[in-house]
Amino acid sequence: MGKNYLSAKSKYVYNKYMSKVVVVKYINSASPESLTKVQYGQLLSAGIRSVAGAKDINAAVRGLIPDGVVGMKVNCLARKANSTPVKLVEAMTQILTDAGRDDNDIVVWERTSREMKMAGFPLNAASSGCRFMGTDANAVGYSDDIYTSGEVNSRVSSILTDVVDSNINLALLKDHSIAGLSAGLKNMYGAIHNPNKYHDNNCDPFCADVSMLEPLRSKNRLTIIDAVRVQYDGGPGFVSQYIHNYGGLIISADPVAADRIGLEILERIRKRHEMRPLREVGRQVTYLDTAAKRGLGVADMSAIALEVINVNAGGRLSAGELI
Amino acid sequence: MKRRTFIRCVGCTAAAASILEPRLVPEYLRGFENACAFDFTKGLSSVEAKYYKKLEGGGIECGICPRHCRVTDLERGYCGTRENRADTYYTLIYGLPCALNIDPIEKKPLYHYYPGTKALSLATAGCNVNCKFCQNWEISQSRPEQTDNLDISPKAMIDIAEKRKVPHIAYTYSEPVIFYEYMSDIARLGHEKGVKSVMITGGYIEKEPLAELMPHLDAIKVDLKSIREDYYRDIVGGELKPVLDALIQIREAGMWLELVYLVVPTLNDTEAEFTELAGWIKTYLGPDVPLHFSRFYPQYLLKNLPPTPTKTLEKAHEICKAEGLNYVYLGNLPGHRAESTYCPGCGQVLIERRGYRIYRYELDGNRCKNCNREIPGLF
Ligand code: SF4
Repeated sequence: MGKNYLSAKSKYVYNKYMSKVVVVKYINSASPESLTKVQYGQLLSAGIRSVAGAKDINAAVRGLIPDGVVGMKVNCLARKANSTPVKLVEAMTQILTDAGRDDNDIVVWERTSREMKMAGFPLNAASSGCRFMGTDANAVGYSDDIYTSGEVNSRVSSILTDVVDSNINLALLKDHSIAGLSAGLKNMYGAIHNPNKYHDNNCDPFCADVSMLEPLRSKNRLTIIDAVRVQYDGGPGFVSQYIHNYGGLIISADPVAADRIGLEILERIRKRHEMRPLREVGRQVTYLDTAAKRGLGVADMSAIALEVINVNAGGRLSAGELI
Repeated sequence: MKRRTFIRCVGCTAAAASILEPRLVPEYLRGFENACAFDFTKGLSSVEAKYYKKLEGGGIECGICPRHCRVTDLERGYCGTRENRADTYYTLIYGLPCALNIDPIEKKPLYHYYPGTKALSLATAGCNVNCKFCQNWEISQSRPEQTDNLDISPKAMIDIAEKRKVPHIAYTYSEPVIFYEYMSDIARLGHEKGVKSVMITGGYIEKEPLAELMPHLDAIKVDLKSIREDYYRDIVGGELKPVLDALIQIREAGMWLELVYLVVPTLNDTEAEFTELAGWIKTYLGPDVPLHFSRFYPQYLLKNLPPTPTKTLEKAHEICKAEGLNYVYLGNLPGHRAESTYCPGCGQVLIERRGYRIYRYELDGNRCKNCNREIPGLF
């Protein structure tokens, strides 16, 4: 299939009550360990168009991301080895600017500038250009108010409360020593001032409640989970022997459904490497069901319209398999 | 600040980020070598933590407090001040206090410990519990990157105390257990130089670190927040049992101990709880341990509750006195007669207080001037 793949009738039953998740994978002769900006751009373009149901990437961006300042929350906990790749961010920035967004209105952000720098991001807290900055960059900090949702009471990064109008969650798919799954919802721990308080009980209900906090809930418009190299055990830090080159991105406007598919991929990778399921090693991921109960999104696989798209080296698209 | 202005300003202020801001340094610290505003570009401290063990298969387990956080690479424990880096555990706040003041010792409150003296009082960011009523939540519930820190080594801290002629150092405001290494080193050095140390704590600490610390301290005040386990679970985010164990350990070690109980309307203010509290103290700590009932004011996550009514505090006082406790005080009620110390023998006022000030002192050494009864404490 060629360029018209996205307009072809989906083989999945999809209606307005289901959440759509797109897994878009880069297919090459060898499993890619890392992708270039161009390759990421191809994946993003195919995935975002599919999520938005639009043929044109610019129309898709306009449909998903409202006008105004756009934030991109990256995950830089584990330095260069296991953080949101710089190339992914560059490719997403390119897509936004091609769609007419001013690069002055793009803020790539994290908990601290130091973590961003260690993950390879060029810091820019200056007055022009795309910003790359931690919440600790001078004069930023956290909200004076405490936001409350369920069991969580936190100050929220002022980048999210005061600077951006909408946010793209640019997370990473990883095993997590406590939560079991680190993906989109867990990445938002980096938006609050006291994440250390919320790791009991495999992060349940905290992972759900953090993303339910206003303004996280209303501003998070798109979740993009990098699953090019998946840390399937030993996370969230970097342990080289437990890396699987999956080569894909998970994209959805539903943060819970995106994570649910992430969990499915993680468990299947673990199985392939003869590792026990997360629930059997005490890392059961119960917070996704809690998030669904809270109304944040869909965690039931039967209510998720999943589409898997393969992208080859020439940029051609075809239907793919999850794993 | 409007958003657009904010975005522009970020650029201007970031350039100044590495310049130490003199406004952060309290007046009385100016001119002291080695006491300056912390330069964040240096990164936080990396002093290896005490009392942790490496786990098989990776990660560490911290043994400072009963939480026993299991922490994998690049993650932090519950208190947010200790970080695992390649399975070596570090305290990030060693030498980095975010609060430093000279306070009356009565403010701690310690009423039977050198009344009328002052304490150089310090805290770092972080805490090992999350009390919904915390009055210092802006520092206790923050990570060290989020507070304005000073850069003061233990030696510099003792130097400040000596030069300002302050006889005590108080580890207070947040929770000193989480800056254990820094506190221990200051206290140890202080004793070598004749400066005393007092720990103001929630008492949520493991047995072994407490035992190692006590010889370097001179008094401990513990916030016993309730006598009920469910209150500790729901309101404090901790456990009661380890706190009670720590209190017994402190008393058995012969350390001077005072207790504070914050009375929170509808949550820990029944007569049955006051009776139970007095009974436990009398049985396990003895009748001479001072107990301060403190008035709650709405703040942090309990803004929906009213301040504690005076009559509730007076009832608590009456019950505990009737149960046989000799020294029961009411705090946050300036001018109330129960702020003062009375001789349990003859009823004579021994130390008359209003707020943190002393207006009358009727002790001769540690004896009542009127009836010669010995009064427990360090006077
Ligand atoms: S001191 Fe901090 S890291 Fe250690 S067990 Fe207590 S809360 Fe956890």
